[in-house]
Amino acid sequence: MKITLVKKILASGKLCPKCEDVLDRLEKTDQMSFIDQVLIADERDPESEGLRLAKKLGVERAPFFVVEDGGDLKIYTVYFKFAKEVLSNETTELEKSKEILKDNIDLDYI
Amino acid sequence: MTPEQVLKKAYASHEKVTISFSGAEDVILIDMACNFCEQLFVFSLDTGRLHPETYRFIEDIRNHYGIEIDVLSPDNKLLNGFVKDKGLFSFYQDGHSECCSVRKIEPLEKHLVHYDAWITGQRKDQSPTRSDLPQEQIDSAFSNEYRKLKKYNPLANWTSDQVWEYIKNNNVPYNPLHDGGYKSIGCQPCTRPTKPEEHERAGRWWWEEETKRECGLHIINIEE
Repeated sequence: MKITLVKKILASGKLCPKCEDVLDRLEKTDQMSFIDQVLIADERDPESEGLRLAKKLGVERAPFFVVEDGGDLKIYTVYFKFAKEVLSNETTELEKSKEILKDNIDLDYI
Repeated sequence: MTPEQVLKKAYASHEKVTISFSGAEDVILIDMACNFCEQLFVFSLDTGRLHPETYRFIEDIRNHYGIEIDVLSPDNKLLNGFVKDKGLFSFYQDGHSECCSVRKIEPLEKHLVHYDAWITGQRKDQSPTRSDLPQEQIDSAFSNEYRKLKKYNPLANWTSDQVWEYIKNNNVPYNPLHDGGYKSIGCQPCTRPTKPEEHERAGRWWWEEETKRECGLHIINIEE
């Protein structure tokens, strides 16, 4: 199994807040060791590997994970789903809901 | 497409469709759908913190249109844990996100599992982050590789003025809080009346700083 993480660098040169949050979680839970490669999707560089991969796979969110297992390829744009399904990490309903809201900020306005 | 056309398309395209009703001006979706649909599935998220006027209004709409409304409550265990840990007003200190996650998102996710599509009253003019809101979309928030949930936003292209014109022209009941200056109505502690010149978003979570959370990948900018 090969796991690729794509993180985004904003036009300002800073890491996007969501990527920062996910990387922080991976570090704190000692899960970075499961990530085989980290690619950068740099807003300032359309040729950056992460942006090219995002375009190829039709992914419009960052960060995202690409899991290649044999001939199968799965894409995860929700960290907790990735953690639960791939890393068998227990996630709480609250964490999942918080991430959904973070990714869809207008849902609080329902 | 007109809002009515979007609604009709939603009902023609899916077997199980539900309308989200917040107890505010999105009531017009119910009014429109009642004109051609015999059995509506409508739900409201009862966060436990709504205004008394909103609870009364939800009941009035149930009676006025003769429809059932699923009033969804937060998960008891989750809510108890959250309140025990953070208290009842933590959103004034660390933001509304966690509270909304417990009281809205979790029950919403559970409810939508039973439907193929849902209909919201979201509009482009409600917030800068909704400026590209389409009339229909795959709901990425609640879809997965096994199931694609469709989301319809029939009012996406309407302005607030158009909504209120419809309400007046069709004698649609509305939440009395609107007469008190509430342009947007949510939970009681997180909603306040706004001045005429203020945007409706100013009436919600006004103590929080506007922070830009942009994590989309602008693939459109990638050169071919």
